[in-house]
Amino acid sequence: MKYVIIGNGVAGIHAAEAIRHLDAEGRLTLIGDETFPPYCRPMISMVLEGATPPERLPIRSTDFYRRLGITPILGRRVSGIDVEARVVRLPGLEDGIPFDRLLIASGADPRPITADGLHLAHIFYMRTERHIREMLDAIPTVKTALVLGGGLVGFKAAYGLLRRGIRVTQLIRSAYPLSMQVDRTAGEMILNELVRKGLDVRVGLSAAAFHGNGRVEGARLSDGSEIACDMVVIGKGVLPALSFVPRDRIDVDLGVLVNAHMETSVPGIYAAGDAAEFVDIARKTRWVNAIWPEAAAQGRAAGMNMAGRPVALKGSLSRNVIRIFDMDVMTGGWVDPPESAGFEILSRHDRRRKTYRKLVLDGRRLVGMAMVNDIAQGGLLISLIQNEVPLRISGNALLSSGFNYRQLLN
Amino acid sequence: MKQVVVHPERCVGCMQCMLACATAHSKTLHLFTAVREDPLPKPRIHVGAGIHGEGFPNRCRHCDPAPCMLACLPGAISRIPETNTVVIDPDTCINCASCAMACPFGVIRYHGDAAAPPGKAVAVKCDNCTARQKKGMVPACVEVCKSGALTFEEPASALGRKTREVARSVSRDAGGEPIAPGFALLNAVKRSQIEMEKR
Repeated sequence: MKYVIIGNGVAGIHAAEAIRHLDAEGRLTLIGDETFPPYCRPMISMVLEGATPPERLPIRSTDFYRRLGITPILGRRVSGIDVEARVVRLPGLEDGIPFDRLLIASGADPRPITADGLHLAHIFYMRTERHIREMLDAIPTVKTALVLGGGLVGFKAAYGLLRRGIRVTQLIRSAYPLSMQVDRTAGEMILNELVRKGLDVRVGLSAAAFHGNGRVEGARLSDGSEIACDMVVIGKGVLPALSFVPRDRIDVDLGVLVNAHMETSVPGIYAAGDAAEFVDIARKTRWVNAIWPEAAAQGRAAGMNMAGRPVALKGSLSRNVIRIFDMDVMTGGWVDPPESAGFEILSRHDRRRKTYRKLVLDGRRLVGMAMVNDIAQGGLLISLIQNEVPLRISGNALLSSGFNYRQLLN
Repeated sequence: MKQVVVHPERCVGCMQCMLACATAHSKTLHLFTAVREDPLPKPRIHVGAGIHGEGFPNRCRHCDPAPCMLACLPGAISRIPETNTVVIDPDTCINCASCAMACPFGVIRYHGDAAAPPGKAVAVKCDNCTARQKKGMVPACVEVCKSGALTFEEPASALGRKTREVARSVSRDAGGEPIAPGFALLNAVKRSQIEMEKR
């Protein structure tokens, strides 16, 4: 059996390990565009902030490929897939790489923005270990930074730069940060905390142009105003990296569509992680949940299926945990559904203790939750959402942090 | 390999296990000196109340595969195969709470610990008293549990006993085997108290 995995990230690595677990003989090729050892992408913001040294990023040792009998092809991007001939095309490789089972775990790339002057130095995306290294090289000469985007990446960039003693201005389109993860109440709590720590947030704005002499010195915003900055970080979300996927042969929406076995519309070709579009358990609709734990689980399942053990996943679930300054935030499922969805919303906001808990209920089924500064048992709620367990206690009892696991069993 | 087995129907909620656990994970290993330590030792087993006020000792199940291990970003969580124990390395832990997001039982907490670098909050959970087991002792929570809610035994023999109990309870004239008359009475009292409060 010839296995080919496109992607050297967490999904690809877990798939490779699952395949080796079940099939010690098959030929296994792994293609990745980064040359750094397989590493933990969520941790790059901790390197930026200075909390973690870069040496701590790798999740597997350098002899990982040798130990598992994997042929790595690193530093190159796949240029195409020939579905009929069952071959992966690589630039500079005439014949390509033949496969019996293929996994598309190519991950995602930062969503590009359109603005003048993007060629200037000190304008960064924040996605890879290399981006962080470049940012760290620039930081000693930086006094003020501009962060575009109020999502997780923009938010972590702003936090990291603040911790480095840089004056940071963040431009966000929505009224509060992390609007995809949290609701207004939690978003405003986070915003207040960051503002209190010195972040300058401007809402409803974007950058139209950058100017400077060789390196960026300032930006013109969408309202015509000017702002000076020595560094720009663009964090406007990510898009699945699928330029090589033949869309006339393999069904692709935002990501590659997969079934419960992580298989695409073409038998023998699988997808997992940020590149895959699966069913969201809470929303009951197709969704790309580009998060680390999903990528690990999907990669593992895809690998098992590729090696011939049929493993089905139920769906994916959005969830996030963020710890910044003195604040803990955990969210899971559908946190801020539209009113038309008809869900019951329960929440408890303690302004004095600065805690907030919110539950979204569909009848007796929990579909979403958000917790601020009170996250210890959050995993339990996420597992209730994930497993669609009907609640046996009232939602209000679940809201109080004192509830016990036993109460859910009775 | 012996494991800690939880029998929730026997728990009276005395919380002795919590005290013993905190002491077993302190620097000095003695209750009277442990209470003066910094950081103050905290238990890794958590006794809470069920719907009828009955006790429930909630502790790490050392799942396999362990969701926390798969979710751990820096790779601080690993398994000791000899004792089938999932452990967290406090030096590698970055306190990101990814494991709390993954744990379906809510047994991972975050605080300073005698085993962690001073001043650093880390993820903390049951380690099956690995240090005590190395010395030939049973886990601290089991040692102090006087009601038999926590036992240290071979999972296979515990399972076999449970199977026999269930089999006996469904046979026609057996009528089930009470754990001990005291527990049944206690649980019945708690249950009726709750029912009365509801009315």
